[in-house]
Amino acid sequence: MPTTVEDKSNRLDMTRQGGRMIASYWDDLFTAREQGKQIVWYNGGALNPIFQAAGLAWCHGEAFAARLAAQRMEGPAQLAGAEYGYNAELCSYSRTHLGCAVLTVQGSQSGVVGMNDQAELAAKLPAPDFFVNNYAGCSTGQQWDGISYRVFGKELPLFNVSHPFLWGNQPDAGYLRGEEWESASRYVRDQLRDLITWLEERTGRPFDWDLLSESMTYIKRAAELRREGLELCKQKPAPATFWDWIACVAPINFLPGDQALVDYFQGVRDEIKGRIDAGVSGVRNERYRLYFDGIMNWNKLGFLSRKFAEYDAAVLCGRYIHNAFWQEPQLIDPDDPLMGMAQHYLLCPTNHGSKTLDYLTLRDCAEYDVDGIVFHSTRTCRAFTGPQRLLARSAQQTLGIPSAFFEGDVADASFYKDEILESRIVTMLEAIDVRRERAAI
Amino acid sequence: MNFPRELALAAGALPVVVQDDGRPVTEGRALLAEFYCGYTRNLVDQAVTGRLDGYDGLFLADHCISLVGAADVVRSVNPGTPVFFGMLMASMGDASAAQKVTEMMATLRTELQRFTATKINDEALRTAIRAHNRDRALLRSAFDARRSGDAALRPAQLQDLVTTSMVMDPDEHYPLLTEALAEARAVVRDDRVRVHLSGHLCHAPRRELLDLIEDSGALVVDDDLYHGRRHVSTDVAEQGDPIEALAGWYSRRNTAIPCPTRVQRDADWDVWLIDAVHTSGAEAVLHLLPKFCEPHMLYYPELRKGLDAAGIPHLLLETEHEGMPLESFRTRIEALVERARRRRPVLA
Repeated sequence: MPTTVEDKSNRLDMTRQGGRMIASYWDDLFTAREQGKQIVWYNGGALNPIFQAAGLAWCHGEAFAARLAAQRMEGPAQLAGAEYGYNAELCSYSRTHLGCAVLTVQGSQSGVVGMNDQAELAAKLPAPDFFVNNYAGCSTGQQWDGISYRVFGKELPLFNVSHPFLWGNQPDAGYLRGEEWESASRYVRDQLRDLITWLEERTGRPFDWDLLSESMTYIKRAAELRREGLELCKQKPAPATFWDWIACVAPINFLPGDQALVDYFQGVRDEIKGRIDAGVSGVRNERYRLYFDGIMNWNKLGFLSRKFAEYDAAVLCGRYIHNAFWQEPQLIDPDDPLMGMAQHYLLCPTNHGSKTLDYLTLRDCAEYDVDGIVFHSTRTCRAFTGPQRLLARSAQQTLGIPSAFFEGDVADASFYKDEILESRIVTMLEAIDVRRERAAI
Repeated sequence: MNFPRELALAAGALPVVVQDDGRPVTEGRALLAEFYCGYTRNLVDQAVTGRLDGYDGLFLADHCISLVGAADVVRSVNPGTPVFFGMLMASMGDASAAQKVTEMMATLRTELQRFTATKINDEALRTAIRAHNRDRALLRSAFDARRSGDAALRPAQLQDLVTTSMVMDPDEHYPLLTEALAEARAVVRDDRVRVHLSGHLCHAPRRELLDLIEDSGALVVDDDLYHGRRHVSTDVAEQGDPIEALAGWYSRRNTAIPCPTRVQRDADWDVWLIDAVHTSGAEAVLHLLPKFCEPHMLYYPELRKGLDAAGIPHLLLETEHEGMPLESFRTRIEALVERARRRRPVLA
């Protein structure tokens, strides 16, 4: 007889509003063609402020793949991709989005039987007028739009923003410092200027620099509020968890830079502050504080938030949240935003060597006083998983923090192994208990 | 794969393309996930078990995220060994591409000078360029001869010739290569089905697989393997500024044989492959895709689409680092051979 597990998670109410904002955004995109807008498909860093200022409708490929996965609607797109020839071991973000591209190009003749209604959602992406790639770190990401370009018959314009990898060759290299950082920043900034010129050619109208400044003013403020909220989650017990911030990724990543975005993150920050004042925690009976490394397992957001809460574990921070998505708003000068934007794109969490990631991970683990790290060994994301075992070793050696790995994937639920997660969480929490008992002796 | 070995040679160093040494991955599994390609897992395993200790430094120029991930582990495991990553840009069609590649070649020269404590002057670099060009050209002649109908050398033998060129001084390799090629008497192609081998962009396919292919009724007549034609496709210009010449070599390599790790709208691996098939007279294509090779997985559907449209039979084999199902491959290759044979014109 199945037993019902009590849901001890306590998600922020505000994220439901975010969900409505996101749904409205996608509905608007699906009618962009009817609105007479040109549509750009892009991947990688958040170029949406530039597209907004250029008067475009924008579609972030990864974001749509994540949305499909979160809604458990990724199947038809992935099937279409598989029919087209994409291997199941390929990055499932790209495979899902390219499957959407295939469905868009082929119409309803994909051969997928019995899924017409679901396929309609996946195929709803309006065809692009052009592509822009802005991928730092992952080489697959950089190649992705070049492949989309081929799926669409090599007929549409494509612009690539190239990002040097922040390897840390020189002795002065470090997080946000060093000649490597400075020269890469200038290089990417210059390419953003070229991108804007290119967009002017595509649109036939001058770029609205004032609107870019305005948009970035809102985004900077929203990012500051987000950081304030993240800081507040250092409280014990934590008023909100990593899963709440995951639900906030879409707004900060691609929604328009406007007052509504600021209001949203103001609401998030205020709800968190209110919880602290009222003594409300994100997990009932928080006993463990954890760091989550890896890209999000989008098919399992609600499930994972309940799973960890079941064991009284509050997941507080992680690379995907704390080291991404306009995470250093102080870099942005709204009056001259391109450099700050370029630097944020370079700060993609997959664009750092392990030295920098080690610094960021250990810093956050210490600041949030975590007891352990859970690594999402994302089957089809080699970019995120590459340094994970080094980070696990370093956390153990430097901070005495244990780690556990579980297998999953960013958008392909077939790679997720619940039993492995279950047994490894339990084991790690037991190890934490033993350490605490010994420390108390 | 695209590191300019000429620079290292000019500095008095021996530039070795680190090979997959074929040994099973053991301790390295603890530091790099199982779903990285076999080559990168083997590299990490070599580092962890001390098999890279013979190298004084590791230089990387390619931006494949798996290679970068492996190099990062190597750097962490061997803190006393310099690991320099001079990323050559992948978006080849950008307006700034030529300039950025030239700048990086200059940076690599500076770094190698520092590493070897030796100044790399232009004359030394030109000498190194000529040495590599000479060796490459001779190797290329063997591939051209095979493409034109000479079946003297089996694929594993050609692979040996290329592999040895990757690990030896070109001035030492060239006379040995000359001797080896002189011993090979021209052989007319027999009646086996002619196939083109495509893929394996970083490490050599297992010898037993290459032997199996030719024992299954196929005759390899051309390839675009890294341990094949891809490595020797392009020479460096011997006139003009040598740093600019190296940058030009890097760019022209991708039009000579397009690589899926590069984004270049006017360089199509699928188009190149179909042309190569027609040139060599191949009747089928065997894709050799190392399991977890992202660039190849990403581009493969375009290859499939092109070959299908051109009516060229082809077969995808996903190769493994350990435990390849050779008998299963034999069955599938024989089926491809059978299919290709049926397409041959029937003589009255």
